[in-house]
Amino acid sequence: MPETRTRWYPYVTILPALLLIGLFTLYPVAVAIQDSFYQYVLTKPRSHPFIGLRNFREVIGSYYFLNSLSITGMFTVASVAGVFLFGLTVASLLNTKIKLAAVLKVIILLPWAIPSVVAGLLWKWILNGDFGILNGILFSLKLIPGYIPFLSDPVLARVSLVLAQVWKEGSLAAIFFLAGLQLIPSELYEAARMDGCRTWRMFRAITFPLLRPIALVVLVYETMTSILTFDLIYVLTGGGPADSTSLISWFAYAEIFKSLNLGHGIALSIIIALLTLALILAYLRILRTEDSR
Amino acid sequence: MSPRHAVRSLLLNLAAIVLIIFVVGPFLWVAIASLQAENDLLHRPPSVIQHPTLDNYNYVFTGKIPSSYEVKGQLRSRITQEARMIAPALGNSFIVALSVLVINVLLGTPAAYTFSRLRFRARGAAYNFILGSRLMPAMAVAIPYYVIVQALGLLDTRISLVLVDCALTLPFTIWFLTLYINNVPRDMEEAGMVDGCTIPQALVRIVAPMMLPGLVATAAFAFMTSYNEFLFARFLTQSLRSQTGPVVIASIAGNPDASYSLISVCMTLGLIPPLILAIALRKRLTEGLSTSVTFR
Repeated sequence: MPETRTRWYPYVTILPALLLIGLFTLYPVAVAIQDSFYQYVLTKPRSHPFIGLRNFREVIGSYYFLNSLSITGMFTVASVAGVFLFGLTVASLLNTKIKLAAVLKVIILLPWAIPSVVAGLLWKWILNGDFGILNGILFSLKLIPGYIPFLSDPVLARVSLVLAQVWKEGSLAAIFFLAGLQLIPSELYEAARMDGCRTWRMFRAITFPLLRPIALVVLVYETMTSILTFDLIYVLTGGGPADSTSLISWFAYAEIFKSLNLGHGIALSIIIALLTLALILAYLRILRTEDSR
Repeated sequence: MSPRHAVRSLLLNLAAIVLIIFVVGPFLWVAIASLQAENDLLHRPPSVIQHPTLDNYNYVFTGKIPSSYEVKGQLRSRITQEARMIAPALGNSFIVALSVLVINVLLGTPAAYTFSRLRFRARGAAYNFILGSRLMPAMAVAIPYYVIVQALGLLDTRISLVLVDCALTLPFTIWFLTLYINNVPRDMEEAGMVDGCTIPQALVRIVAPMMLPGLVATAAFAFMTSYNEFLFARFLTQSLRSQTGPVVIASIAGNPDASYSLISVCMTLGLIPPLILAIALRKRLTEGLSTSVTFR
């Protein structure tokens, strides 16, 4: 290959991807940041005065801000914990020699593979308070006296949302944890067993420390996913009842597409992005101190 | 087998059964519901399997209204034309996702090879930019995306979705394939280049076959991500010219006139492609996902 062609080769191969990604990141982010300093209300299409930080101040001072922030926090903690526990349990079962592990291995990817919108709708109909199958089963078995309105009670609606999120996201955590478990040399367990270690002790002394890097990946990834959950809420609860499942990212949507206040919506999105970024940086710091140990 | 072992294995199998029911239950139920007349489903508790019927599918594909929906006394069951949009919408999903898959492989592989093997100026900056782009929150850029697509004259086209989905999937593809190529030994291609192979030739003839498992996994990831994408598809599409499966399914499910059975039919149909893919490529996908957390 002639020298000049070799010199240009790297740039030619990465340029198409770089341009496409640039077009859909640099420009939109620049526009979003710029718009956040202007009044942008779709019901007043002709007037876009510069208003400085007023969008940010109004959003932070709004009736929903603190409340939705705490709902987001609760949802994130609950679903990350649920996904973590589910993933670890499934991975541990997959790592044993029981017969059903083979079945579990085939089906575990299924919830991960499907659209979140469909996952939300599957659970919406199962949990339906008037004729859902879960109510039907529990009622037929005489476990409940009457049908339970899972999605129209504020507390139960939150539990339902976490349940659906764990179902959808747990698969990935299970696969990740299984990958981590399989990296642990079995000699370690054999040596521990020779020394008379019980199962729980082995988990604490061997499995948990060696699984730590993977656990952190799961933690970072699932935290981001939970904070930004939108599709699931859109179909499952629509943010209700009475805003009880309205995460902060739901209000970004509501400001833009329901109140038609783009300035507010974009300012809120920027706040969410900064919060997420701060969390990721904090996690990465933990990860780095872990690595240097 | 000692009694303690037997108890342990019994408990583990029980736990596995509970988990299997939890994971598969929702899929089974939607498939069953799609085969029932709506009135059977609206009982307390729902009466099931007494009259499984393909009428709902027949309506979605041919428009023939099932007899169970016709007038009974004063009441007429709920039904909606909208359910018939699912077939063309899934067609759109398929075209978009396949195009995204092809573009990811064609653009992603050479770019990943370059990042893995070649040293050039601005390499680190370009790589970090590509990865960092995924930190951008989708909601913040939904409106700017609309503006860009409108400026390009591509509103309500499948091309706009292909562009957006490629921008969303290429970072992962490039990152994953770069890791993958890092772990493919160099000797073969170096020998090939000594024999006069150019880089593209070496890539196609020597490296690509060795990274085939990784390529299959990324191709499947790209396909699924765009097949499943909802937020942007919801904003950038307006009609069946470009609306995808998830958009149409969400819209039918939000329609108070839609029957539960028909919604179930639409969901079942929409689930078939990703489920087939997930089962057929199970090994590759699991390996790919494992690789993405264990490679350094």
